[in-house]
Amino acid sequence: MAQMKQYFLTLPIVAVIALAVSCKKKDDTTPDFDKGSLLTNVADNIIIPAIADFDSDLDQLLANYTAFQANQDQTHLDAMRTSWVAAYMSWQTVQLFDFGPMTTNNLSLQIGTFPSDTALILNNISSGSYDLSASGNEVACGLSSLDFLFYRSSALNDLQSNANYQTYVGDVIQKLKAESSQLKTEWTSYRSTFVASTGTESTSAFSLLVNEFNRHMELAKNAKLGIPLGKQSLGIQLPEYIETRYSGISLDILKESIIRMHQLYNGNAYLNSATGAGFDDYLVYLEKTDLSNTINSKYSEIFTKIDSFSGTLEEEMATNTAELNVLYNLIAGQIINIKTDMTSAFGVLITYQDNDGD
Amino acid sequence: MVIDQLKSYLNPFKQVSIAPLISFRIIFGALMLFGISRFMLNGWVETLYMQPKYFFPYLGFEWVRPLPGNWMYLPFFLMLISAIGILLGFLYRYAAFLFFLCFTYVELLDKSNYLNHYYFVSLMAFLMVLVPANRAFSLDSYFKPEIKRDQVFAWHSGIIKFQLGVVYFFAGVAKLNSDWLFRAQPLKTWLQAHHNLPVVGSFMNDNWLAYAFSWTGCVYDLTIVFFLLWSKTRPLAYFAVVFFHVVTWYLFPIGVFPWVMIFSTLIFFDENTHARILNRFGAGITRFTTIGQKKSGWIKPFLILFVCAQLLIPFRYLLYPGDLFWNEEGFRFSWRVMLMHKEGHATFYVRDPETGRESEINNSDFLTQTQEDQMATQPDMILQYADYLHTYWKDRKQHYGDSVFYIKNPEIYAEIYVSLNGRPSQLFVSKEQELAHLKYNLCHRTWLEPFHP
Repeated sequence: MAQMKQYFLTLPIVAVIALAVSCKKKDDTTPDFDKGSLLTNVADNIIIPAIADFDSDLDQLLANYTAFQANQDQTHLDAMRTSWVAAYMSWQTVQLFDFGPMTTNNLSLQIGTFPSDTALILNNISSGSYDLSASGNEVACGLSSLDFLFYRSSALNDLQSNANYQTYVGDVIQKLKAESSQLKTEWTSYRSTFVASTGTESTSAFSLLVNEFNRHMELAKNAKLGIPLGKQSLGIQLPEYIETRYSGISLDILKESIIRMHQLYNGNAYLNSATGAGFDDYLVYLEKTDLSNTINSKYSEIFTKIDSFSGTLEEEMATNTAELNVLYNLIAGQIINIKTDMTSAFGVLITYQDNDGD
Repeated sequence: MVIDQLKSYLNPFKQVSIAPLISFRIIFGALMLFGISRFMLNGWVETLYMQPKYFFPYLGFEWVRPLPGNWMYLPFFLMLISAIGILLGFLYRYAAFLFFLCFTYVELLDKSNYLNHYYFVSLMAFLMVLVPANRAFSLDSYFKPEIKRDQVFAWHSGIIKFQLGVVYFFAGVAKLNSDWLFRAQPLKTWLQAHHNLPVVGSFMNDNWLAYAFSWTGCVYDLTIVFFLLWSKTRPLAYFAVVFFHVVTWYLFPIGVFPWVMIFSTLIFFDENTHARILNRFGAGITRFTTIGQKKSGWIKPFLILFVCAQLLIPFRYLLYPGDLFWNEEGFRFSWRVMLMHKEGHATFYVRDPETGRESEINNSDFLTQTQEDQMATQPDMILQYADYLHTYWKDRKQHYGDSVFYIKNPEIYAEIYVSLNGRPSQLFVSKEQELAHLKYNLCHRTWLEPFHP
């Protein structure tokens, strides 16, 4: 009798193990993947190098500002502009990771808010007394404020002749530099938390990464393109909402931001685009290679379309709305691929509440 | 002989020991105290009931409105107090009624927060009002010893067992669908997300595991209640209950529900076990019948009505054509737990039919993240949101640049894509369909795009 019982217990266990072993063999054909290595790759090859790059761009900007103070001419203004453009470009990667050290200090808001309130900036300058960290001043001190301060038509003259103006520019740059240093320092300790957070809860690093990726695709569509184009204002164009309107680099910024999201998607390194574990590998692991290919080819379509524009966003808005609408719809289509298909395949939680799966 | 046995078994007025009912009262009070405290400490009163600008009411309950500002904490404090009342059996009927009222009020405010286990708690609280769970081992019976009883009617604990049985059995019936059984979805999606767990992680993306979980879960739900009812299988069945719910608690974000089920199902244990344990704490429940109770005439019709409603409501979806998971007609209040993984993206538009001008709507201007996610896949909420947008835009002055607009009769459109149980996303609502003029009722919705499995 006892033997009989043992037999009955052993049978299902053996069956399960046999099934496991046979299934494991079959699985050898599908590539190995785990979220831990994706997070490590993203932290070490994308986030940390991008923050370092952003920080050194701001170092350069600060150095160029000091140089301008010594030689207040067009050449030295141009040097400041060049390093500002570089910083704005590297910010397009850094901004994608709005969690951890970035949220604790509200850095995304402080650095990345656009468009700037130019009246407030001029008001701060003329009064000469301001606290850039004060709430309300985030529209007067981020990267976007330098677009106005460096590129408005009277910029060189203002910098040369208005001491307050020049001081203000210096204060903005120093604040940005302090923020990037802080971010860089905090990420060195946050890294270990990040790469170890492979769980499924909504606060896990992987969920945060996917949610931010989704959110920034939507920001690219709405804030960088749709709102100026009049998509949320009954078709009335709102050029005052254009990001970097004064420098006219808006389309470059838009492209850079989407390129960086594409790289994040594929897990490609920030500095040399070397391939690593990314969302694409996760999709392949889940036997959704078709979806991964669809997303990559949609990205290519988006880049081809952006490259077809020769003017600034403001110029294209005036003359080429139809083509901008095509671009807009391409990005909107990609959002459905990413937000609905990719995110649901990952089983990522967006909400933090209890749920019972309905 | 068998008929007589069955009659005796189902006789609602058979005298049985009060002990299981007393245990259940204590357990229910304690669980609610824990659940409500957790809800408040998580800050959900604020995020779910104070921050939203709009609430999605249930059909026929549009008059249930949130309290202004911090007053929303009031029903939660009342629930804490009444849960303690239930636990201690103090002013028991009032406490149970107050708890039922507050809990149901909060649940009716916004269907974005609908959970089957909240519905379960509402029903349980309602049943608790009806049963004399304070007639032993309670402050009420301490202060008024004349209400003390050792025995109660069989239906008093029977209706609670029935309700628990309904939850399990219908959760099992709901799993008898092709996605669950033959695609192992949505468990396949949810389990693979745990592939970083130590030891077991390497199996989490394996098909056999998803199928094993799906089929075991289905058989468990369908049969567990019968094994709990039968004394010979009861200990093993209860072990299975604990194991099953601990696993689901570990793997899925289902809050207090596993603990509610683990502790509630203790009511299935026999009366002697309950009495022995309670008496160890000084409950003083004996096996002698004290004074008989009067049988109210309304009990039998009420029980028949309640039982029939519980058995029929989960099947009301049969009245609708089309796919239940896609259309969600008759989906709620049917114990469809952990049944689907639906993810959607909804873009809404307001259009002025006079000028043909159109704006895309930023959903986060009006809805919280949770509300937006829930709305995007649930047709009734899509209609309610469209109606809300229509009201918002009607005759509202809009300044854009130098232009001012009024839309006399705004039309609302939406383009919505939904992915169901791991399938590629499909069009759910087409932008051709004007939504604001559609009536929200229980009729079959013909404006949804058909589902392609």
